Amino acid sequence: MMLMPPFTLHHPTTVDEACELAATLMAAGESFDWVAGGTDLVPNYKWHINTKPHVISLAKIQGTASISSNELGCMVRLADLTEENGVHPVVVQAASKVASSLIRTNATLGGNLCLDTRCFWYNQGEDWRRSIDWCHKADCGTGADCRVIPNQNTLCVATYQGDIAPTLMVLGASVHLIGPNGARTIPIDSFYQLDGMKKNVLEEGEFLLKVTLPEDANRRTGSYQKLRVRDSWDFPEAGVAASWVEGDPTSLVVATTALESIPRTHPEEVASVLEAGWNGNASVKALSTAVQKSVKPVNNTALPPRYRRSMVRVLTKRAVQGLLE
Amino acid sequence: MSGGYRQQPGGAGKITRKDGKRVAGKQAFPPPGSGGSNPTMGPRDLDFIPEMVGGKEAQPAGAHVHDRARTGTSVGKPTALVDSNAKVTGQAWYGDDVRLANEAIGKILRSPHHYAKIKSIDTSKVEALPGVLAVATGADSPHQFGVLPVTKDEHAMAVEKVRHVGDLVACVAAVDEATAMEALNLFEVEYEVLEPVFDPKKGLEDADEPIHWRGKYHLARTNVQKRVFQEFGDRSLVATPLASSHGKWNMAGVHHGFTEPHAVVAHWDPNGRLQLYTPQQVPHYTHRALATVLDVPMHQINVIRTFVGGGFGGKSDPFPHEMCAAILARKSGRPVRITFDREEVYWINRGRHPSHIEVKMTADEEARISGFDIDALIDGGGFASFGHVTSYYNGVLATAPYELGSFHYTGARVWTNKPASGAMRGHGAVNTRCAVEVGLDEMSEQLKVDPIDLRLANLLPPHSRTISGFRITSNGMREALEKVREGSEWDSKFRQMPLGKGIGIGCGFFISGSGLPIHWDPNRFPHATVHMQVDMDGGVTVHTGAADIGQGSTTAVAQVVSEVLALPLAMIHVRSHESDTSPVDLGSYSSRVTFMNANAAIRAALEIREQLLNAAWEILGYHPNNLVLNDRRIYYKHDPAIGVSYLKALHKAQEDKGALIASGAYRSPPMGGVHKGAAAGLAPAYSFSAYVAEVDVDVETGMIKCTNVWAAHDCGKALNPMAVKGQIIGSCHMGLGQVLSEKMVYGRTGHLQNPNLLEYKIPSVHEMPHVEPIIIESCDPEGPFGAKEAGEGPLLPVLPAVVNAVYDAIGIRLRDLPLTPDVVFKGIEKGMKAAGVDDPLDLTSPRVEHGPLQPLLVKRAAEHKVRDRARQRSEDTNPYVNGVLFGFDPNLPLEDQVEGWRTATEPDPEQLAELGLAGKAWLKKEQRHMGGDE
Repeated sequence: MMLMPPFTLHHPTTVDEACELAATLMAAGESFDWVAGGTDLVPNYKWHINTKPHVISLAKIQGTASISSNELGCMVRLADLTEENGVHPVVVQAASKVASSLIRTNATLGGNLCLDTRCFWYNQGEDWRRSIDWCHKADCGTGADCRVIPNQNTLCVATYQGDIAPTLMVLGASVHLIGPNGARTIPIDSFYQLDGMKKNVLEEGEFLLKVTLPEDANRRTGSYQKLRVRDSWDFPEAGVAASWVEGDPTSLVVATTALESIPRTHPEEVASVLEAGWNGNASVKALSTAVQKSVKPVNNTALPPRYRRSMVRVLTKRAVQGLLE
Repeated sequence: MSGGYRQQPGGAGKITRKDGKRVAGKQAFPPPGSGGSNPTMGPRDLDFIPEMVGGKEAQPAGAHVHDRARTGTSVGKPTALVDSNAKVTGQAWYGDDVRLANEAIGKILRSPHHYAKIKSIDTSKVEALPGVLAVATGADSPHQFGVLPVTKDEHAMAVEKVRHVGDLVACVAAVDEATAMEALNLFEVEYEVLEPVFDPKKGLEDADEPIHWRGKYHLARTNVQKRVFQEFGDRSLVATPLASSHGKWNMAGVHHGFTEPHAVVAHWDPNGRLQLYTPQQVPHYTHRALATVLDVPMHQINVIRTFVGGGFGGKSDPFPHEMCAAILARKSGRPVRITFDREEVYWINRGRHPSHIEVKMTADEEARISGFDIDALIDGGGFASFGHVTSYYNGVLATAPYELGSFHYTGARVWTNKPASGAMRGHGAVNTRCAVEVGLDEMSEQLKVDPIDLRLANLLPPHSRTISGFRITSNGMREALEKVREGSEWDSKFRQMPLGKGIGIGCGFFISGSGLPIHWDPNRFPHATVHMQVDMDGGVTVHTGAADIGQGSTTAVAQVVSEVLALPLAMIHVRSHESDTSPVDLGSYSSRVTFMNANAAIRAALEIREQLLNAAWEILGYHPNNLVLNDRRIYYKHDPAIGVSYLKALHKAQEDKGALIASGAYRSPPMGGVHKGAAAGLAPAYSFSAYVAEVDVDVETGMIKCTNVWAAHDCGKALNPMAVKGQIIGSCHMGLGQVLSEKMVYGRTGHLQNPNLLEYKIPSVHEMPHVEPIIIESCDPEGPFGAKEAGEGPLLPVLPAVVNAVYDAIGIRLRDLPLTPDVVFKGIEKGMKAAGVDDPLDLTSPRVEHGPLQPLLVKRAAEHKVRDRARQRSEDTNPYVNGVLFGFDPNLPLEDQVEGWRTATEPDPEQLAELGLAGKAWLKKEQRHMGGDE
């Protein structure tokens, strides 16, 4: 009984064809969405959230499911992100905690990285959103205000709740984007762009083709800590990833997710702790507190923001615990 | 082989030749009367025949009136539910599986406002849309209905006002779903928005525009739907307590979370009769409400209950969408199907009431419980639903299993502009039970005694009367407590585990079938009726209106019939789907089905049994007293060789009259007090349970993981131990949801923020602890073969057991449910502040050293154990009423023995000032006492 509005589904089989298709639609002034596994897009379509008349599927494009220790295609299913497939253990750790096993079989890496931001004023059925007179992110032409922080309609504060992005960040990965205007490669750090609606730097017609990891990523070890109410299904309420080169605290990188509209690394907080010289437990404590202070969650997920923020300290502590061993 | 009965037990022989061809005269399918795929007669199963009648089944709780009807066939044997094949092969037809030719799809227009007057509805554009077949609004449904005759406050669609976001405004039927959805956008409704009420505390105050208006019975101008006051016992006992507990609880509303969303198909057949397909727990109420709303006599309506994909109380009201489908089908002349999405399921709600509960309790110098003082303010949402009853249950179901010196209860249910609360598994008893059991834990700490011993020394015995006049019959509470204490190794764990690990106890008490049939006088009409028919083929068709909602009531009815007639389960066919063919039945609520319907079925089966035995008497010449009924054969008890096949006896009995027909009914005995509200909570039997839960608390995050539950439930007699265990485990899951993660979140704007199964957090398999179900059999004298309920009661003890275990783990009493990690963490932060520590890992968990009362309680409990055993086995039949523990004589009215013994249902004027939150409703007057109706 959750009928999606009608749309045309396109199935390009090559990257070039996909870019061409995008260019044609753009030229015709038609809007469209990309779909990979569909586990994020389809629920939103069923709720009639920002639906488009065209959807381009990446599923049939050849060569987008490559999987190795240094390269991961956008169509790699989360269930395939395993150590047996040569994937970095920290990425595996995060991927194995995404949603449920059923969803992981379909969901893709690209989809997870480009996950739509979430908010309990936004991820609702059409009747429900009508009852709050819409919101800034899906205003249905009304110019509606943000419901999380009223009286500001410039920024969307919906939360990015992907698990895998912070782990790729701490491993120094790059994302390869491609579109009608050509290809580009950028560090995943600068992929995300602060705003719950813009979400990332993808231009219209562009999609995320693959992720590459630097050669030395394998030297790194680390951990991903996820806060959630249930050990299945739930999106992270907070997530902290950390990685370091064994025995070398100065190599530490920390990233957080599910706390703001974008996942991000915390180089300044790490630097300020390292500046004082690494001092085991005391440094961990200082770092945890610094990371906690740097994030500003808002009230739009299942758990209250004050609690999520408090937990960043605990999650950070647990994520870097390995450094103390 | 004689008389042409080739299909006789044990005589089937080979039916195929070596070359695979059929032997002449032998049938390739099981012949009629053979018992399906197992044509050979089974030996008499003495293991399942009670020792009192010569079998080997132990009966520690004594004999039962149904013992003589036992044949060792089905009762007590773990049995797969008779409808399980249909379910696991996907062939069960649920609400949305019904497809009638030429169906139209119905959709409902819902209110976007919390509270508003409807000034006008313009449907002209909707009607003009091609593909729209019918449109209906409140004007098409002027008649009010409601599940309780005293509170009919619902319409099929809003008349005059909408009362919550999602309230039904209008509906449309169209050729397909897309057209119906498009049509919804074409309604033009003009609203006048009114000031909504969300906080139940505000609901106690006078409002400009109360959500409903009850005329002269309306309480001032408040939104109070129902208020209750009850006071029993000697209140002077609470004056100087040795220990006391005072807790204020906030409990969020929870939803049943059944898998199947509501769905309905309505069809007016060629004769103009309404055929309504709906997954209902209580088809009869829908039947009645449809007749009222549609202005059609009941006999022109056939309510067909589809398979029910979970109900738990959430499908027991007559629903407005059922009316809408019928109205649209009548207008369009086509079958109309309406299926809800999950959001709509939450908007119709009927889940557990969000509650503010305050419990004060006291214990005297002998650690007797001198008083319970309960105040419950419950948030009813937009409609009454079952709320009238819930208002009572929140208090009265706390009057057992403990003996009380006094009992004081004030309750109020208020209307708010939210989806209506209603009945949910453990109806009305769950929240107060949790508060009471946690209070006992707190008192035991003050008394320096073990909480299990405190309970064991204060239990009401079997065959006694509670302080409010409930008649307790069988009572397995003591055994349940002893079993979980032993199973959980309580004595080596309680207050002895490291920080973060805890163990806790909780008990439960619940009705086994409401003693008052809502729609009629129990002295005039029975609670339940079952019809039975045995035709020439030997199969038994049982007609009952009992609604199987997954709990296995069909199986229970089939089992008892199979037991009495000694026939394999495969030969019993229960027909319970249609109101046309089933006798009127009140349906599946208040845990009444097994108790009442199985009792009615036993009576009908006994009648058939008598006819069969009389026929065998004629054939064999032996009196029925000397005949044994065994698997498809009746024989002389001293020489099994002398006998007759079931079919032969049946055909003898059928001579001259054809099929054997019987009808059986169950009615409850007269019972209970005479005070106002005395019938609320009255039941022919009560179930008891005791659980121990073990938890791990992550003190840094506040995450609770329940690891183990030892769950003992007294179900009287487990007719089907597999089903009872399933109910216990399922109850644990549901109760854990309420105590750990499930809540209906109403945000700052009053909107329900989580109407979906991702954000409404039902525990997953990862959150499920290991549950050790322990069945206690107290053999209820009135239950079918001794059985009582097992569907709702097992939920109750989980909540307090977990809350108490969390205290044992971290030393912090939490009284906000659910215990989501943020709630626990807030408690931990407070605890750290109080203890002056910076790191939660430096907290200490509580320890106990038993005081002088402990040996006294152990001694008293041991004495009571002897007393209880004698009473349970009817060796001691002296009357016992609540109060004997306090030295009163059970043979004299308590009022005569102590000055100030109260039985009050209204507060005295001098009490008004000291009433609790809900009690404040008593400060208001009804309109009729205020100088006239408005």
